[in-house]
Amino acid sequence: MGSSERSKKKVHLWKKAIVHFMLCFVMGFFTGFAPTSKPSIFSSSVTMSLSSTYSPQPVEVFHQEKAQSFNRSLLDETEPESTTPREEKKENEELNVKRLVIVVTTISRRNKLRAVLLRRLANTLKLVAEPLLWIVVEQKIDDSEVSEILRKTGIMYRHVVFKENFTDVSSEMDHQRNMALNHIEHHRLSGIVHFAGLSNVYDLSFFEEIRAVEAFGTWPMAKLTANRKKVKIEGPVCDSSEVIGWHLKRMNNLTDISGPPPIHISSFAFNSSILWDPERWGRTSSAQDTSQNSLRYVRKEVLEEETKLKGIPKEGCSKILLWDVQISKEQ
Amino acid sequence: MGFCMWVLLFLPLFLWSSVGEKGIGRGSVPTERIAGSAGDVLEDNPVGKLKVYVYELPSKYNKKVLQKDPRCLTHMFAAEIFMHQFLLSSPVRTLNPSEADWFYTPVYTTCDLAPNGLPLPFKSPRMMRSAIQLISTKWPYWNRTEGADHFFLVPHDFGACFHYQEEKAIKRGILPLLQRATLVQTFGQRNHVCLNEGSITIPPYAPPEKMQSHLIPPDTPRSIFVYFRGLFYDVNNDPEGGYYARGARASIWENFKNNPLFDISTDHPTTYYEDMQRSIFCLCPLGWAPWSPRLVEAVIFGCIPVIIADDIVLPFADAIPWEEIGVFVAEKDVPYLDTILTSIPVEVVLRKQRLLANPSMKQAMLFPQPAQPRDAFHQILNGLARKLPHGKKIFLKPGQKILNWTAGPVGDMKPW
Amino acid sequence: MKQLTALQQQGRRSNSFRNASSPLDATVEGAIKSPATIFWLILHGLCCLISLVLGFRFSRLVFFLILSPSSSPSTTTIYSAIQTTLPSSTTTPPPERNVSAAGGGSRVVVGRHGILIRPWPHPDPAEVMKAHRIIERVQMEQRSQYGVKNPRTVIAITPTYVRTFQTLHLTGVMHSLMNVPYDLLWIVVEAGGATNETASLIAKSGLKTIHIGFNGKMPVLWEDRHKLESRMRLHALSIVREKRLDGVVMFADDSNMHSLELFDEIQNVKWIGAISVGILAHSGGSEEGDLPVVQRDDNEKDERKPPQVPVQGPACNSSNHFVGWHTFNTLPFVERSARYIGDRAVVLPRKLEWAGFVLNSRLVWEDSLDKPVWVKEWEEVGKDEEDIESPLSLLKDTSVVEPLGSCGRKVLLWWLRVEARADSKFPARWIIDPPLEITVPAKLTPWPDAPPELPSSVEKAITIPENGIVNTEKRPPKSRR
Repeated sequence: MGSSERSKKKVHLWKKAIVHFMLCFVMGFFTGFAPTSKPSIFSSSVTMSLSSTYSPQPVEVFHQEKAQSFNRSLLDETEPESTTPREEKKENEELNVKRLVIVVTTISRRNKLRAVLLRRLANTLKLVAEPLLWIVVEQKIDDSEVSEILRKTGIMYRHVVFKENFTDVSSEMDHQRNMALNHIEHHRLSGIVHFAGLSNVYDLSFFEEIRAVEAFGTWPMAKLTANRKKVKIEGPVCDSSEVIGWHLKRMNNLTDISGPPPIHISSFAFNSSILWDPERWGRTSSAQDTSQNSLRYVRKEVLEEETKLKGIPKEGCSKILLWDVQISKEQ
Repeated sequence: MGFCMWVLLFLPLFLWSSVGEKGIGRGSVPTERIAGSAGDVLEDNPVGKLKVYVYELPSKYNKKVLQKDPRCLTHMFAAEIFMHQFLLSSPVRTLNPSEADWFYTPVYTTCDLAPNGLPLPFKSPRMMRSAIQLISTKWPYWNRTEGADHFFLVPHDFGACFHYQEEKAIKRGILPLLQRATLVQTFGQRNHVCLNEGSITIPPYAPPEKMQSHLIPPDTPRSIFVYFRGLFYDVNNDPEGGYYARGARASIWENFKNNPLFDISTDHPTTYYEDMQRSIFCLCPLGWAPWSPRLVEAVIFGCIPVIIADDIVLPFADAIPWEEIGVFVAEKDVPYLDTILTSIPVEVVLRKQRLLANPSMKQAMLFPQPAQPRDAFHQILNGLARKLPHGKKIFLKPGQKILNWTAGPVGDMKPW
Repeated sequence: MKQLTALQQQGRRSNSFRNASSPLDATVEGAIKSPATIFWLILHGLCCLISLVLGFRFSRLVFFLILSPSSSPSTTTIYSAIQTTLPSSTTTPPPERNVSAAGGGSRVVVGRHGILIRPWPHPDPAEVMKAHRIIERVQMEQRSQYGVKNPRTVIAITPTYVRTFQTLHLTGVMHSLMNVPYDLLWIVVEAGGATNETASLIAKSGLKTIHIGFNGKMPVLWEDRHKLESRMRLHALSIVREKRLDGVVMFADDSNMHSLELFDEIQNVKWIGAISVGILAHSGGSEEGDLPVVQRDDNEKDERKPPQVPVQGPACNSSNHFVGWHTFNTLPFVERSARYIGDRAVVLPRKLEWAGFVLNSRLVWEDSLDKPVWVKEWEEVGKDEEDIESPLSLLKDTSVVEPLGSCGRKVLLWWLRVEARADSKFPARWIIDPPLEITVPAKLTPWPDAPPELPSSVEKAITIPENGIVNTEKRPPKSRR
């Protein structure tokens, strides 16, 4: 290799290098213009999606980082994103973090004891550990004593009203339950849903037990009737928390014995996410099923998803935690 | 190695910008301030401190307009009507214009309702112009100062810009003839063309008797953490989304509809006022304008207002310690509302509630019939009294003209 | 030839860059060459990287410079991307957000904004708990501000006995008492002696309790039962007397339902107060052709008005002076009222119910200095069985009674006597113990052991025999699915 050739090569190499650098620079330059929906490694903080600002969908996604830095400056005690799981657990224990219980109560105008029974139920629910959300459904009227009673309880409640008139009590109750379920679905509330009838009486530990429900839970309940000898027990028979049979409600109806017996409305609880996220539970969301008659959908699910059905209390669901007194025929 | 030089030249730039980004401070909890003498200011009695002359205008400027649509008496802008009625019988009124400190022109510019009840101020500029023309020819006082000692009530969405759409309102700007006058308006946003310096921001009108009739005992336990009733999306006027409330209301819904602590919905229940009284925080996000009647309702019902409207100028901000009684959340921080509100120390929450319970705070938010001491009417007068005495500068030399009578859109020039 | 390898190297280099593994690959290749070449290659790669970064930065800068003066709504985004060190606070919104609008002095963006949606959808459970703590504190503060000042201890007296409805009734009363925000002492008198069953039930309340037994089994006849209960209450009062318990004595029967306002209202009593009791006359629960649950005493004039519950309690004149008693009108229930508990008929109150009275505990103290003169001597009370129908028997003069609850107009307490038949059985402590071996595989044998139709209207029920055996149906085997 001659020296001239060498210097020539050197110049050539230089040229090449500069071309490469330029190329890279231009590449970087245009990368900067490109939509950055994912945070770039170079920008350590807020990166909002440029593309989404231009797109018709008016949604901007925050970079998680923002929340962190936000929390850091805002809170001195809690940094949910940055704490280690153990710390978080400790903190949660300290705050006594619990699952949300959504209690749904339907009120018929025909039930003349509704005001008194509502107060009794409220006295019970007030004692339940938070978080609890009480959804009370009632036909809309101008002067509702129900809203006044509810107001004085101090419980976190939502009073859902409807205008329709019903002649049949049971279809009205189903409509009311659907109203409540629609509310849960519309708001995508996440918790364990339980229908608490006005005439129900609870052992307080019941509400702690149902927080453990993953998908569906069921339990035996005692139905008492005044001035009678008999006590009815309805609900599941369990081996540990596994449901293996049912206390029968209708023994004379032998024709549809193949199917599981109908289940009392206050005898089960379910995870509300099956209403608004059925895919999570391995179901295709059938819009008709969920929005038209959520109640029927839920009832069907409870009985079909036996593997996800859990007996309550955990120890063989043999303890009665819920009583129902038949006082007036309206309930 | 020119290349390395080049690198060295740009490296600091790169470093600077990356360091700069790290320095973003996120929003912090509103800091507690030591309570000022705000309460005392609210207690002020304006009587004897100022004299107001009320121009007598033909009834087509006020009474006839009201007769045409009595709904004006109940909507959010009714302050312009009640202020007129109040001044007529107020002890600060003087019948001798030569001794007046302030001149008031009773013209109901926002009482022009569409069939659906929405006030559309299309005719307002012409009406206002016509009224000013009248007073400037009939009395000598306007021309003395070209309105600098006059005040006008312009409670519409964007005040004296007289348009309900913000972009159009900004384009129009404050009516040129009102440039020198003191404007009493509900609209308040800092650095906005529709807010003059020296304007008096007042609360929107909320019916006092109706609110009174829904009062429930103060020991009713507050069981709602966050309450809001109203629109999240204005689909009719903003089908694309993002214009209405600058996206803040939509953001509230999208982020917190699934939060059991947030009792938010579009349905207006019959127990709306009662529910506010059992809530701890009431969201007061901007709508098309930064303010809404929720501000008044929250104060009356002792619910801590969570004000979400960047750069809002609040009613009687010089007398009411808004930062003490409310919570301010920047529009961009709406997704963190839950964190912000739950991390307010409970002592601060209780303190805000105690301050809100102050009756003079509530009184200043209302326009009761008949007027009562310390109410919003009196606060307006207090605001006017504090501007006295007028500076010598406001009086023009004979023949001097500042206002341009031909400025503004051609449409405004048409006679009313 | 050399050029070709250089070209190859270049290709590899750009490749290696894309793989973000920096010049490592190149060094492997370059190891065959001289060290100078290696250095040269590393430098080359490094400079390439730097120029890439610079290009990126530069483009952002250009982007910012070009677009910031325009009124495009996207400028907010750009601003936050090229952030300067301006501290933002909630009270003074950061100026970088205030991009000027079309003309004018406005600094707030007019036009389209992004709707900020955060990526984490669910509320933080820890924050939910924090919020509940705030609510709790606020409610506490409200109570201390507007509630009763210097509240007295509430002494609740409850006669009870083990039976089918006991758990249910006692749980209801217990939940009422547990909500009382004042000091509370619960005296539970149990007929037939204190049982573990009752003790374990009331232990759940966490309240201060005195659980005592009372000699004598609960009779079946309603009249006798009422008398025994009166004696049980009197017995509890004697404990108040002996222990000199200080406070307000109330009679919380396990057939009562309470409004929590009651507990505030009874704090107002000076010596002896009377409160109105809503009588929920109940028909017996059979499904067909029974009495209406609540008898309306007048014709329905106003459909919207809530039905009037019959009330027993103090009556006042228009100037709020106690003048007498509203008594329960038993007329509509003649022939239908119960003689036996468990009759298929209405259980009605007998005269004035104890639950409608509250006392200052000092009224029964042995030597209270300020004890009024109209109080009977303790020894005289209860001598005659008939005399202790109500606390009025403690008084010489019944006109001293203080009417509470807006002079008796407000009903804060209800009375609903519902019991099962005396011979009714229930699983002990409500623990059902179904023997699993009797579950029937439904598919194979549809109810071979189906019991005969049960008499009367209980055929729909499953019976709980004394030994607690329950008929159960085996579900279809899970493997089927």
